[in-house]
Amino acid sequence: MEVTKINYKNIYYPPGGILMWIIIFLELFTFGIALIAMVYSSKESPEIFHDSRLHLNATIGAVNTVFLIVSGFCMAQSVSFLKQKKINKSKLFLKLTMLGGLLFLGLKGVEYYDKIEAGFGISYNSFFTYYWMLTLFHVIHVIVGLVILTSVYLGLSKSKSETKMEDVEASAAFWHMCDLIWLLLFPIIYLLF
Amino acid sequence: MNKTTITLVILILLTIISALISIVAESYVAISVLVLAVLKFIGVSFYFMDLKHAHNFWKGSILIFLLLFTTTILIIM
Repeated sequence: MEVTKINYKNIYYPPGGILMWIIIFLELFTFGIALIAMVYSSKESPEIFHDSRLHLNATIGAVNTVFLIVSGFCMAQSVSFLKQKKINKSKLFLKLTMLGGLLFLGLKGVEYYDKIEAGFGISYNSFFTYYWMLTLFHVIHVIVGLVILTSVYLGLSKSKSETKMEDVEASAAFWHMCDLIWLLLFPIIYLLF
Repeated sequence: MNKTTITLVILILLTIISALISIVAESYVAISVLVLAVLKFIGVSFYFMDLKHAHNFWKGSILIFLLLFTTTILIIM
C-alpha cells in the first residue's frame, strides 16, 4: 500500500484528483441540464407531470437516498481508515459501501418492476421519458461505481497490495459523485411537480 | 462523534424533512425542497469528499454550480 502526502490546497490536487473532478463537473452539468429541461417541459403540461409524479413512491426514493448517503459515509470512513493504515477496518467499510450500493440497486429494481407492471414505460408520457432516462443513466453510474469499488477491494486484499492512495481516493470521488447526482434527481423527480 | 458522523445524521434528517415537506406543505414546496437538496449536496461534497480541505477554486466551483442550477430551476418554476 503506497501512501504519498498530497497537498489538497494545491489547485491541481483536489481530493480524488483533477481528472476525476473534471469528470464530476461534466456529469453534474449533464444531469443538471437534463433536469432543467425536465422542469421546462413540465410548464407545457403541468397536470401530466403532477399526476405522473404521484405514481412514484417518494418513500422508496427517500429510502434510496438514505442508502446512498450511508454508503457515502462508509466510503469516507474507509478512506479515512486507509490513511491511518488500518487496512482491515478500511476493507470492512468498503464492503459496507458496496452493500449500500447493492441495496440501492435492489430497491430501484423493485421500483422499476412496479412501474413496468403498471404500464408506466419510457414512452408512456414525457414525465416518464425523463424519469426512465435520468434514473437509468444514474443506475449505470452506480453499477460502474460498484465495479470500481470491487477492483479496489480486491487490490487491497492482496498480501502485497500495490493499490495507491490516489487510486482509492479517485474511486471514492466517483462513488460520491453517484451520491451527488442522486441528491439532485430525488427532489426534482420525486417531490417537485 | 466526529464531523463525518454528525454530517451523516444531519443528511438523513434533511432527507426525512424534504420528504415530509412535499407531503405536508402546500406552499413554498419547490424552494424548500431545493434548499434542502443544496444543503445535502454541500454536506456530501464538503465533508464526505473532503472538499473543505481543497483549494478555494474547487469549493467555489461547486457553489457556483449549485447557485446556477437552483436559480435556473426556480426561475422556470
